[in-house]
Amino acid sequence: MKRQFDALLNVPVSDPDDARRRKLLNILLLGTIIATLLGLVAVIINTVTQAPTDETETQYTLFGIVLATVGILAIYQINRRFSGRLAAALFLLLLTGIFALTDTPQQLTEGRSLFLFTIPIVMSSLILASGASFLFAALSSGIIAFLALSIGHSVNLFGTIGFFLLALVSWLSARSLEEALRELRGINANLDQVVIERTKALAESLERERIEAGRSQAILNSIADGVVVFDTNWNAMLANPALIGMLDLPLELIVNKNFRDLIEHPKLSPRSRHLLSAMMEYDTQPPSFRIEWDQKTLSISAAQVYDYTKDRFTNIGTVTVFRDFTREAEVEKLKSTFVAIVSHELRTPLNAILGYAEMFKEAVYGPMNDKQVNMAERIMKNTQRLLGLINDLLDQAQMEAGKLTIQMAPVRPAELLENLHSVMDQNAHDKNLRLTSEIDDHLPEVINGDAARLQQILLNLVNNSIKFTEHGTVHVRLFCPHENKWGIQVSDTGVGIPESEIPHIFETFRQVEGTATRVHGGFGLGLSIVKQLVNLMNGKIDVKSKVDVGSLFTVTLPLVVPEQSNEKWRIG
Amino acid sequence: MSDLALIIEDDEDLASIFAEALRGVGFEVEIIADGQAAQERLKNGMAPFLILLDMHLPHVSGADLLTNIIKKDDGFAKTIIIITTADARMGEAYNEEVDFVMIKPISFVQLRDLTSRLKPKR
Repeated sequence: MKRQFDALLNVPVSDPDDARRRKLLNILLLGTIIATLLGLVAVIINTVTQAPTDETETQYTLFGIVLATVGILAIYQINRRFSGRLAAALFLLLLTGIFALTDTPQQLTEGRSLFLFTIPIVMSSLILASGASFLFAALSSGIIAFLALSIGHSVNLFGTIGFFLLALVSWLSARSLEEALRELRGINANLDQVVIERTKALAESLERERIEAGRSQAILNSIADGVVVFDTNWNAMLANPALIGMLDLPLELIVNKNFRDLIEHPKLSPRSRHLLSAMMEYDTQPPSFRIEWDQKTLSISAAQVYDYTKDRFTNIGTVTVFRDFTREAEVEKLKSTFVAIVSHELRTPLNAILGYAEMFKEAVYGPMNDKQVNMAERIMKNTQRLLGLINDLLDQAQMEAGKLTIQMAPVRPAELLENLHSVMDQNAHDKNLRLTSEIDDHLPEVINGDAARLQQILLNLVNNSIKFTEHGTVHVRLFCPHENKWGIQVSDTGVGIPESEIPHIFETFRQVEGTATRVHGGFGLGLSIVKQLVNLMNGKIDVKSKVDVGSLFTVTLPLVVPEQSNEKWRIG
Repeated sequence: MSDLALIIEDDEDLASIFAEALRGVGFEVEIIADGQAAQERLKNGMAPFLILLDMHLPHVSGADLLTNIIKKDDGFAKTIIIITTADARMGEAYNEEVDFVMIKPISFVQLRDLTSRLKPKR
């Protein structure tokens, strides 16, 4: 009902001012038609109850009522379909016209119905335009002036002034009304814009969050490592498919279960159970470790999860990553087995060959002639070489596996040189080279170091120098350039190293000119091992060389003197 | 003190070479190739003058023999202990507990010269 009533009054146009005016006009038209109909009822009652006084007047009145009704309906249609301003103008003109004809010019000039003219003046500023009140004030003044003059009266000046004052007041109030409405619309429009923007931003952020969550879920689902997130009480909050595949357990046995239940599972080895229990008891970041689950080896690393809220970090649980390490563990085991086999099973028969050859040489079973002794020596030498190569390969393998470690203990530098001479003197002698050595006076008699590895560095460097020197001297010097540094220098008078090759000589399996490996024998591992050992000892190695003049290798190492009294070592 | 040298070594050739070196110096040599057998021998037999002990043995390791029998039994207090191993690290680890550590490959001459210095002069 209300909607239909509204539809009757409202005019659907885009300009809100126009719509407001046209609606107002419709209301006025409605009011007028009601007034007209009431007039009709009054006429009918008057006609029925009283004796007909003036037949003609009644007819005129009825005619006026019909005419007014038709006019109002026509204006309504114009207002609805055509133009609000035109309709308003017509309505106001009609109204003014009717008021002009209501009384006789005589009565009007005397001011009987002068007030009626104020109605269209006030209305015009509301339904036509704010300034239109002046037009209607002028029109009304014109009409009463004309009527007064037509009957020979003077113009009602006070009435005219009154009309214009009223027009001014109407104009001002209509204008302020319009302005207030315009401002209100502006505020509304801004408010709408803000609401639209906020809604859009909210929708976007929700969408982003949805995409982000979806992406995180997708990553978690497709990651090859098993991931499980625990709360601070070690209840599993979520787990990804990889973990389920890895453990071969249904999701409901993992998620929403306490980790303590899971580690009681019979597939877990007792040692692994112990490790996992230990992990749960760590307060700080637990380390990564391996467990055995069924036939699998799994590598586990765990990290605490922190949430930054209210200006501080709160521990909200632990994220644990499981990686299938089975294959790597097998390879590692194979590798260490291989290394153990090579180191023991290969060295043992070589030791036997060496021993028997020595027995020949030493004529244990009776005298030998020179040629036989020489042959025994050759067997010994080649066996030594083979042993050296095996040792190099093993060292390289261990270094690659990161298993070679430096173990510091008191070492006597003089003893390193004694051992060096006992092993290398023969090699130098065989090539008619001189192997000489010296120790700086400043160097302490006992220093901290890994005796076996230092010996290896010395042997490899000297062996390398002898290999590439055809005549002259290989000289070894142990020195102390600084109170917390000591060094090994090996110089030779050999073929030297071309400048372009110097950066490469410490590379694995490398000898100068590439093919030199064949000429001089060996794997080209010696210097590479030296370099790696020196690095492990936090030292550095330098080479100076000139082709056909010789090479100088300098190893510099940190110098630490053991705390124990040197006396004990002098005796030893 | 007897002239007995006990060689505990599972490799036949090495045992034979070591034996030859020790005999050359004048020791009476007894060879045992198995950890289990060595354990029996050490528990029941006479304490030798010298034991040449391989750390890698079948059944009972040289390290076990050293720690559980030789070091615990006062009967071996005067016996000279030489261990042989291919593992330099292991050698270092036992350096303090034994008289000599020999890292494989072990030279015939080296062993002969060392033991000749150890053998009491008559």
